[in-house]
Amino acid sequence: MNAQLEAQPETAVLEIAPETVKLALKDLNFFYSGKQSLFDVSVSFAANAVTALIGPSGCGKSTLLRTLNRMYSLYPGQKATGQVLLDGEDVLSSRVNVAALRSRIGMVFQKPTPFPMSIYDNVAYGVKLYETLAKADMNNRVEESLRRAALWDEVKDKLHTSGLGLSGGQQQRLCVARGIAVKPEVLLLDEPASALDPISTARLEETIAELKADYTIVIVTHNMGQAARLSDHTGFMYLGKLIEFGETEQLFTNPVTTRARDYITGRFG
Amino acid sequence: MDDHTLSRIDTDLGGLTQAVTAMGDLAVTQVRAAVDVFQRHDLQAAAKVVRADDALDLQDAEIEKSAVRFIALRQPVADDLRRPIAAMKIAMQLERCGDLAKNIGKRVGRMDTAGGKPQVDAIVELGQLVGDRLAAVINAYRQGDAQGAYTVWLKDTEIDERHDTVLQGIVSGMINEPGTVGDGTHLLFIAKNLERIGDHATNIAELVHYQITGQDLSDKPRPKL
Repeated sequence: MNAQLEAQPETAVLEIAPETVKLALKDLNFFYSGKQSLFDVSVSFAANAVTALIGPSGCGKSTLLRTLNRMYSLYPGQKATGQVLLDGEDVLSSRVNVAALRSRIGMVFQKPTPFPMSIYDNVAYGVKLYETLAKADMNNRVEESLRRAALWDEVKDKLHTSGLGLSGGQQQRLCVARGIAVKPEVLLLDEPASALDPISTARLEETIAELKADYTIVIVTHNMGQAARLSDHTGFMYLGKLIEFGETEQLFTNPVTTRARDYITGRFG
Repeated sequence: MDDHTLSRIDTDLGGLTQAVTAMGDLAVTQVRAAVDVFQRHDLQAAAKVVRADDALDLQDAEIEKSAVRFIALRQPVADDLRRPIAAMKIAMQLERCGDLAKNIGKRVGRMDTAGGKPQVDAIVELGQLVGDRLAAVINAYRQGDAQGAYTVWLKDTEIDERHDTVLQGIVSGMINEPGTVGDGTHLLFIAKNLERIGDHATNIAELVHYQITGQDLSDKPRPKL
């Protein structure tokens, strides 16, 4: 064997086992007002796993996240090409009902976005759009969602007070509860803990770790410790390209590409 | 390799490498000195070798402290994490080399003579080989040379084979001259100590290789040279 360092590839994308794939991106490109911001991204995300996307600001990780539930289509002049296959079905297809898609792929944003209504109604609101539940069933759904978001014990005695009165960390977990109340298959999290203190962050991370038993979770984060703690797979993006994707343990202990290594170790020029 | 954006990381890592290199150089000096005092049967110099071991113990403790501090404060990953881990483990190996050299110094003090000439010459040759190996692996560490470390690792069997030959010579000497059993026993331990230092040099080679490449050599079969 040769003990010398092997030449490092420009990109390295792990192919995960086909039977575990929930979301498969194929040659995904994204254009914003004619400017390309994602370049031929092909990668698969596993079911019942947390995938973290990391990379410097502007690298395309949030853009990639927004293509997965077509959140971008709310804005004019934005276009995605290629395929995003959810259980084999292309969500970019014009035949897909976007509202139905978003009930299957939920999203939590960087800043907590509770609706100006009660805690109870924040959780029930989305459910009412897709389902007609009897009051007792709705009560159960709200409680179950708040429990799963690790918020129930803190709010069970004030369900009918405003969600805006909660702390930042509680508001973010309320958004998680709202997201999972509609029973999505995939949960997208865009920097969900960036505005939270360490205790709230730990609670949210614990929630995410528990939720992966039932969901496919994709999280964008600038916090590399968070990516390392939470995720099973990590993708490193740079200038709209997926540079390295692999098992989190591998990427944080012995990354394959120089760019990923330089980024995670803080050598980025 | 590019510098870190946070320059204190480079300062810390540079300091750690420097400390391990200095400790390695001292350990090599100690091993060579132990072999030298043994060869010359110099009791005063042997006592000096014994006393000088304290410095290696202190350096080991300092390196461990610096590595723990670096991990806690800088939260390194990838090769940045392997460096303090390797530094701590290499320092531990060097500390043991120091203990073995010290033990040789003590035994020299307890021996009546330098021992039988052919046996002494064979042990001195083994000791020089071991000293060279340790120096080579410290050099590989200093230069970040994975191939150099790998070469040291490959050559471990050479020391083992030489040690076996030396043992046979010592045992034959004791059989032929039963009156030399006392010193002969010390010679057996001195030879064994040197062989163990060779093992530590091999362990350090694995650590240097791991630090640089992230790959573990210890679970790989060692090809015959």
